[in-house]
Amino acid sequence: MTMNRRDFLKVATASSGGLLVSLNLAACAGTPTGFSEDSGSWQPDAWLELSQDNQVYFTLARVEMGQGAYTGLTTLIAEELGVAPEHIQVRFSPVGKDYINPAIGLQMTGGSTSLATSWQPLRVAGASAREMLVSAAARVWKVAPGDCSVSNGQVLHPNGSDALKFGQLVELAAKETVPDEPALKPAEEWQYIGKSRGRLDAMAKSTGTAQYGIDVELPGMVYAVVTRPPRYGAKLASFDATQALAMPGVLDVFAIDRGVALVADKYWRARKAQQTLKIEWNNEEALAVSNASVMEFYRKAAEEDPGVNEREEGDPEGAIESATRVVEVAYEQPYLAHAAMEPMNATAVYHGDRMEVWAPTQAPDLGRIAVARVTDLSPGDVDIHTTFMGGGFGRRLTQDFIEEAAAVAYQVRKPVKLIWSREEDTRHGLYRPAMLHRMKASISGDQLTGWHHQIVGPQILDWYVRNAAPAQYPWAPKFLYDTLGKVGLMAEGMATPKDVSAIEGAVDYPYQVPNIEVRHTHVDPGVPITWWRSVGYSHNGFAVETFMDELAHELGQDPYQFRRGLLQNEPRHLAVLERAAELGNWSAPVPEGRARGIAVHRSFGTYVAQVVEASIEGGNIRVHRVACAVDCGEVVNPDIVKDQIESGVIFGITAALYGNVTFENGAVKESNFHDYQVLRNHQRPEVEVAIIESREMPTGVGEPGVPPVIPALGNALFALTGQRQRALPLKA
Amino acid sequence: MAISLMVNGQSRSFEIEADTPLLWVIRDELGLKGTKFGCGAALCGACTVHLNGTPIRSCSTPVSAVEGQEITTIEGISGSTTLHKLQQAWVDHGVPQCGYCQSGQLMTAAHLLSYNAAPTEDEIAAAMSGNICRCGTYSNMVAAIQSVAGSQGEA
Repeated sequence: MTMNRRDFLKVATASSGGLLVSLNLAACAGTPTGFSEDSGSWQPDAWLELSQDNQVYFTLARVEMGQGAYTGLTTLIAEELGVAPEHIQVRFSPVGKDYINPAIGLQMTGGSTSLATSWQPLRVAGASAREMLVSAAARVWKVAPGDCSVSNGQVLHPNGSDALKFGQLVELAAKETVPDEPALKPAEEWQYIGKSRGRLDAMAKSTGTAQYGIDVELPGMVYAVVTRPPRYGAKLASFDATQALAMPGVLDVFAIDRGVALVADKYWRARKAQQTLKIEWNNEEALAVSNASVMEFYRKAAEEDPGVNEREEGDPEGAIESATRVVEVAYEQPYLAHAAMEPMNATAVYHGDRMEVWAPTQAPDLGRIAVARVTDLSPGDVDIHTTFMGGGFGRRLTQDFIEEAAAVAYQVRKPVKLIWSREEDTRHGLYRPAMLHRMKASISGDQLTGWHHQIVGPQILDWYVRNAAPAQYPWAPKFLYDTLGKVGLMAEGMATPKDVSAIEGAVDYPYQVPNIEVRHTHVDPGVPITWWRSVGYSHNGFAVETFMDELAHELGQDPYQFRRGLLQNEPRHLAVLERAAELGNWSAPVPEGRARGIAVHRSFGTYVAQVVEASIEGGNIRVHRVACAVDCGEVVNPDIVKDQIESGVIFGITAALYGNVTFENGAVKESNFHDYQVLRNHQRPEVEVAIIESREMPTGVGEPGVPPVIPALGNALFALTGQRQRALPLKA
Repeated sequence: MAISLMVNGQSRSFEIEADTPLLWVIRDELGLKGTKFGCGAALCGACTVHLNGTPIRSCSTPVSAVEGQEITTIEGISGSTTLHKLQQAWVDHGVPQCGYCQSGQLMTAAHLLSYNAAPTEDEIAAAMSGNICRCGTYSNMVAAIQSVAGSQGEA
């Protein structure tokens, strides 16, 4: 029986969101686990490779886009293996079933899942390899394994003086029995987990040597740019490339599914020639919406369709009937762009029977589907090499840039690097959906008796399933791709997970109110949408926490105490709320001209509360201070947790102050950082982050810093001005 | 046209159209990939390099405009030493997240310290305001710059 360790670790998500880890190792005791004479190295599993020259290689199955997975996941395996994280060489993983994200079922980095889903399997992998190395050493020394110890890449003899390096042991360790249940180190013995030890990628990123997708260079490489229709959904009618083809270095101009591709020997030559293209678009099926028409569409839909009941408790209708007061408001939220610093790009080369792609992608297995779609190749014929990426924020979960690069490389038969301009990145992206929230509260006397939330807007899987469904069935023939996408949607909850992108952060309304209803009116105006840092929580967090603030004022209560009173059964919410209030000096007088706002929100299993201190200076909103408390369970690297929460705060404030993608007749108006602004250094607030000590399972921190800061800022502005802003972005 | 530049202390010559932005010359003709393309419009600072010691936006500077002059990129920022003090401070303070903007940030910060050895927090923020960081690493950046400013004072 040939079995590989990598097949043994089975990780599945339970319906509760908790992780179940099952180890099926016992049946294969004594099976050799992959020592290679050729390479002189041992691969105990899909992640680790230990060589005879004492190198330790770790294959990182999640991508690094700033969130710290590179450091965090390496720390987990280092801890149990017994090697300092700095001594481990990290490799980005290829596409492979061992590297699928168990929380999603695809090889995807997103949903703040990396740490949570790796916590158990990577530590078990490290511990298992360590125990096999120890057993091998004990056999050499004829001592009991339990008397040996491990330190810094060596097994230490019980006599305290002899030691064997891992490299000396790998060939023997490969013959050891794979441990049934390797013993994980107790928390008191952790050397690396829970410590702030810096980021493993900091040096490469401070010296300009980290390789991003845009830096990939292949021999004989040419450059491609693609002109896409200004209005989403328009089709190419005709183009005239006569002038472009006469320009220096221009190699070819041709139509691809997504527009007109122009290929030249140099990037700048391609850009210059692109400007001379004369293109006619057929706008029959083009999007015609504007931001105002989208909101009007939502309002009308909300009246006509109360939506699917996603949560109902008590008797919401009765609560309204018996209420002494009913408060009704609506919140409007705009489309948002990701604006990652590294523009979309991909490099592809067609080898005749295979295609190789280098790309900064959050979902390389979907990248294979994108290639298969526009070539004669099957997903299995496509190798995707991932790179460091200049921000992701969800944008790189969609593989349009790989699809374009593949279509061009397939035609020109040369290595091709495709680079989007910033303007193209802003205008031809996929966006955080614009949303409408209709809120209603039933009040009897001084009690909140009913919470009624109607969410109006699209669901992201409707767009995303196009490549995600085929990626889950890589054996499916290509003519089934579109069917799979549709079936995936129809069979939501069975073939694909229930799409909670519109309702997350609303259905899990945490406050103790006797009557609750949360409804979703599912309508889609046709604007391309995708995951955006914190997804549904980004808009539901604003709706819930702004309305809670409104209700506190309506009831004449302190917004902090009002929340506190209704969170008595939610200890983790309560703990972060109280800690943030303390850190943010909630009960102390506010400095002259400023005001404070508070919010608490759980997203991706992590609890964050924030107190924002803001003012209006010279006609501009100024955020001075943001006090944050976070409970993300067990902490692997406190510095990274704090930095990610701060990063989320800056990202959220950017959205609150500037975030607005304007559609006019189906085309995006904004183009670059002058009209799609992001917060700059001199506008940065002071951000303090307190981490709640916890032994709970670790949860992600890449996104949860975003949702509460937007309502907390809005609530601060209300406290400052007495004016409630119910549409984003906020105005001074 | 034929162009010569001094890049990181070395003379480099090549044939290229005069209007090619310096950024693409640095990246694709000279193979120095540490300088990044972010916006192409001098709005984000990811492409910042030094022209005779002063930061410029290489994405919006035609190469012909800097003919014969001295260009320093992130690869040359440390001069003859292994690491610029700021680079070490960036590592020590864990500044980079995605890291894409950091070459440009470092070039701007290095210039700031070249004319103001001990900048105040406000001076740092003002000097760095032209460089966008979408990950929001600003406060760690400021702390890193202050740590070097302090150590320079002591040296």
